Amino acid sequence: MSTITNAGAPTRADGTISLTELREQQPRFQGFVGGHRACVGCGQALAARLVTEAAGPDVAVANATGCLEVFSTAWPDSAWRVPWLHSLFENAGAIASGMEAAYKARGVSAKVLAFAGDGGTFDIGFQSLSGMIERNHNVLYVCYDNEAYMNTGIQRSSSTPHAAATTTSPAGRERLGKRHMKKDILQIVAAHHMPYAATASVAYPSDLRKKVRRAMEIEGTTFLLVHSPCPLGWRHDGAKSVEVARLAVTTGLVPIIELERGSLTGSMPIREPRPVVDYLRAQGRFEHLFVDTPAAREELEHIQALANYNMERYQLRGSGHDARDTAGADTVRRGGVRWA
Amino acid sequence: MKQYPRGGIAEPGASLDYHTGSWRLQRPVHVHQAAPCHHACPAGEDAQAYLALVEQGRMQAAWESLVTANPLPAITGRVCPHPCESACNRGQYDEAVSIHGIERFLGDEAIRQGWAYPVAPPPADAPVVAVVGAGPAGLSCAWHLLRAGLRVDVFEAESEPGGICATAIPGYRLPPDTVALECGRLMALDGIEFRPGQRLGRDIQLHELRQQYAAVFLGVGAQQARPWSIDGVTPGDLHDGLALLQEWKRVGQIPVPERVAVVGGGNTAVDLCRVFKRAGAKRVMLVTHSGMPGPGVPDPMRALPRELAQAQEEGVEVLTHRGVRRLVLRGEKAVGIETVHMKKLPDAEGRLRRVAFEGTESLLHVDMIVPATGQDVDGRGFEELLKGSAALAIAADGAIGTPGVYAGGDVTGNAGTVTAAVGQGRRAAAAIVRSLQREAGIDWTDAAPVAFAALNTEYYEPMRRHHGAVLPPAEREGELEVEQGFDPAAAQAEAGRCLSCGNCMACDNCYTLCPDTAVLKTRDLAEDGSHYVFDYEYCKGCGLCANECPTGYIQMVVEP
Amino acid sequence: MRQALEGSQAIARAVALCRPDVVSAYPITPQTHIVENIAKLVADGELKCEYVSVESEHSAASVALGAAAAGARAYTASASQGILLMCEVLYDIAGLRIPMVLTCANRAVSAPLSIWNDHQDSMAVRDAGWIQIHCADNQEAVDTTIQAFRIAQDTDLPVMVCVDGFTLTHTLEPIELPTQQQVDDFLPPFVFARALDPRKPLSIGTMATPDWFTEARHSHHGAVLAAAEVIAAADADWQRITGRCGGGLLAVDGPDDARIGVVCMGSITGTLQDARAASPELPAARIIRLRSYRPFPAQALREACAGLDQVVVLERALAPGGVGIVGAEVRAALYGTPDAPRVQSVAAGLGGRDMPLTTYARLIALAQAEATTDFAILDVELDKLPEADRYAAAAMAGGQA
Repeated sequence: MSTITNAGAPTRADGTISLTELREQQPRFQGFVGGHRACVGCGQALAARLVTEAAGPDVAVANATGCLEVFSTAWPDSAWRVPWLHSLFENAGAIASGMEAAYKARGVSAKVLAFAGDGGTFDIGFQSLSGMIERNHNVLYVCYDNEAYMNTGIQRSSSTPHAAATTTSPAGRERLGKRHMKKDILQIVAAHHMPYAATASVAYPSDLRKKVRRAMEIEGTTFLLVHSPCPLGWRHDGAKSVEVARLAVTTGLVPIIELERGSLTGSMPIREPRPVVDYLRAQGRFEHLFVDTPAAREELEHIQALANYNMERYQLRGSGHDARDTAGADTVRRGGVRWA
Repeated sequence: MKQYPRGGIAEPGASLDYHTGSWRLQRPVHVHQAAPCHHACPAGEDAQAYLALVEQGRMQAAWESLVTANPLPAITGRVCPHPCESACNRGQYDEAVSIHGIERFLGDEAIRQGWAYPVAPPPADAPVVAVVGAGPAGLSCAWHLLRAGLRVDVFEAESEPGGICATAIPGYRLPPDTVALECGRLMALDGIEFRPGQRLGRDIQLHELRQQYAAVFLGVGAQQARPWSIDGVTPGDLHDGLALLQEWKRVGQIPVPERVAVVGGGNTAVDLCRVFKRAGAKRVMLVTHSGMPGPGVPDPMRALPRELAQAQEEGVEVLTHRGVRRLVLRGEKAVGIETVHMKKLPDAEGRLRRVAFEGTESLLHVDMIVPATGQDVDGRGFEELLKGSAALAIAADGAIGTPGVYAGGDVTGNAGTVTAAVGQGRRAAAAIVRSLQREAGIDWTDAAPVAFAALNTEYYEPMRRHHGAVLPPAEREGELEVEQGFDPAAAQAEAGRCLSCGNCMACDNCYTLCPDTAVLKTRDLAEDGSHYVFDYEYCKGCGLCANECPTGYIQMVVEP
Repeated sequence: MRQALEGSQAIARAVALCRPDVVSAYPITPQTHIVENIAKLVADGELKCEYVSVESEHSAASVALGAAAAGARAYTASASQGILLMCEVLYDIAGLRIPMVLTCANRAVSAPLSIWNDHQDSMAVRDAGWIQIHCADNQEAVDTTIQAFRIAQDTDLPVMVCVDGFTLTHTLEPIELPTQQQVDDFLPPFVFARALDPRKPLSIGTMATPDWFTEARHSHHGAVLAAAEVIAAADADWQRITGRCGGGLLAVDGPDDARIGVVCMGSITGTLQDARAASPELPAARIIRLRSYRPFPAQALREACAGLDQVVVLERALAPGGVGIVGAEVRAALYGTPDAPRVQSVAAGLGGRDMPLTTYARLIALAQAEATTDFAILDVELDKLPEADRYAAAAMAGGQA
């Protein structure tokens, strides 16, 4: 049996403690534990872990159908340690509404979280999401955005970025991956005049946690879009999930912003912007762009222009030292001070 | 038999029954690698360890950690060329951590606050070791012997401990009080007996020491002027550089020429130039074969770059890549030197050789020329050990081949830095302790340090290096110390710049970023010195933790 | 107190008496006034509940699902397209074994667009795993609605109360509304053992591998069958409190010596009873009304058919290309019993087509005919169709095509 020495009380006479015991003594709330069937290096599993950790125990989760639901709850197993309900693909917003209404009616003090992927949010679940926001249920809706239908075999969604290859937007002689733009779900959601809608990334867990806490405090519907790499669908090494997510942010392709009542109130400045090719080259879904053809060259320029557009639109270019920017937001310190 | 419940509900966290560790092809392991600073320090200081404590504001604990390797931080913090900082990985990121500044801060604080050296008095019947020479090597050796529970008698020819630090290094960069206090505190420790005015071969004899003591450590230094001439010619009033520095320290004045050339590229040469300036010389020129220190320079001067820069600020002219071709004498008195441009170039076999370039000869009018090209060992009292060599040859542990006798410091012809002497004293102490069948308790790391490429620098924020105040050149007079130290806030902030290379700094990245909650945080240190354990029952071997470990402490190895 | 109430309003009042925690609603067309009336009760402060106006029927069912899973007594109402849009949610609610109540104001399903009554909608979700109870009149709709909440929580199953759209929902009838005390005596507070609770954080809605799916279905099937006793018991208890009875699983009306039986569901029952009374020249048929359609009361039906030679099933929905939906089940239930009657099946009143008193005579004629009609649409008027589409009745007689 694996043991560690002097790792915390209570310890056995021989000074060891089992990992099982240690697991129960972890300093952070564990709403989502291991033993789930996510792929190695899954960004969504990481994101869900971070969100539930930050949200704490007084929650109940409504989970749309998708990878997260499937890999976390193959009966009899469940990776959840918070009350959790899965119903269907497109109704996370609605069952979360019902749960919240029930708690309100019964006087139960628990925040409802709704979890869905980009398919369940941008596409099929958009209607119930919109309804929920319009009714302003006290729900934090978290979209784990991995930019395609991963659970069903990497089909394109309206979140799939331009030029990314998926099984239904493959690259070929005539086409360089997806022909359409990524839907700007955050602006669409924020247009409901909701109190808080923000983006976050698994590459910046401190920022993500802050946003979860912020959203939890707000009475009413809040929305968090968490960029969550999929090693399988994006075709990168699982070890690189955070690195790829970080590049998405530092290239400007995934702006990390906060909108309140539809207005921009916060953004993570990029201290040293990276060229988009650094991000694209790290992923197989864009490999067709790295050939020496006029179309591929144009596409790379196009994607860089999209990043530049984001930089301009949200004034993402940093202006020197800023503790909240891409270089400062998740700086480590000895002793894990950033979590204090 | 497991039974399917109504509605297919699952119990919370039941997935922990499913052990995804079986998927794993590779596993993360903790590998503690030496930090480059630790590896590079001739005294074996683990700077990372005390920087961490300084960052927490635990200054005394930091000093106690530091002196487990080096008992003279107030001295070395000022005079060491700090190879630790040259090696510091942070230098490749923005600027190296000011390790020397923090070292000095801790040494000064210990003196100021009177922190007690962390050592227990040795038992009365403990073996006694003789240390000859109370310079950095001897003091270090004595200290480490004391830490190992031995008693030490320290013999010193001069009246005060400190060796060259007390006698030759100018006060503007190493104040005499600092030397006296730091060395004096050490010599006052219970278990160390300081015997001043005892010169080997005159007052004490080696064979007697060997008989009376459990072991003998020779740290007598090298303070004899090295013979110097140009084609056999020397001026009649030839002064040796080190001797002039000693004179300046002892009596506060030296002969002051109007124009002087100092030959050499080490700190003695630079010190002497600056002393000449302070003493009133109009024109002071440093003539050296070497080049200015800097990146890519194949033959840099050994002087500290910052000392050199300050010398130039003070008006010292530095003539690099210059050799003295000829002395111009009027009678026995030098009136000038002929110099020639030279450079180290590879010869046919690829070895670097100095080549003088014909046609570049030029004449410098000087009133005095002072060689500062190094000193030799004064072998009086241990001639039989030198066997005609210029220095004592020692093994890595300080043994010289004569039973019970060890040596360290300048007497061994070492690199000539105070810190190297401290390190040699420490290694010799360890060897002595072992020879007495005792537990040395002195760690030494020779493992390869963690490379910059192994770090994930995304998690560090650029931060300018802190600098202590520097006296403006116009105000640098006499022995006024030029460089001021850190205040506690600056020391703490600067310590926070340490990257913790190759070590676990408890940043929580692995713990935070594991998608499988397979990294568990320990309350105290885990067995391997980290703050985390891998739960291989669940770890799928994705490698995220290793990729995101800022310090290179986590490595992926093929699953056994 | 007896009062004249529109069916929708009566049902709304019945729901309110059950103290629901969450009511969700969407006004798909065709809509009833049930949820509107509940909304008004909430607006007037007469009912304390979370009333959630959603953006689709899919969400209406989903909100109720989420609410019930979170421990709330939940209710919604729908019809027609709404039921079909809810379809996957209805399956999900049942599969999750979540107790809740839904009123289906039975209507036809498009196309062609029709807002009028038949049973096509609830038949479309027959196999979703819900309990389905059909009501003969508005009084029974009131009583059954209240019973449904108790049946749901006693069985961990959702209950669909089927009420003929328009025919009942939009019709004013004298209604005896029970008192709050009567309802409280009958219906205990809602408790759901598996409710989502941060103090006992269960996971609901897990994935079942092929190793377990069959068992999940077996237990669900068994639970719906076992609900028959709960339905009968609830009706009996209700009768003790109010003196009114819906008939348990099925209601039998007619002479003991009848040779002809008519099997039907819903409000057509009253029409048939009136026609029988108005037609003394015709044989008096035994009218067997299935109240519980799911679970299908096979044993009670066999008992109700004892002594009959002829059974005609009056369908209110169509399985194009197949035979009568209810008829097939009646036939299956009676198959192999000693002296089993001949079973014929006809559909009538599709899409709100009026079913006059003469319908009874046509059913009797069918029972007396020598030829057997496995299935036909009783009231089709072929001359309204182009020649090519006038399929002969014989050609449509069940499975012979």
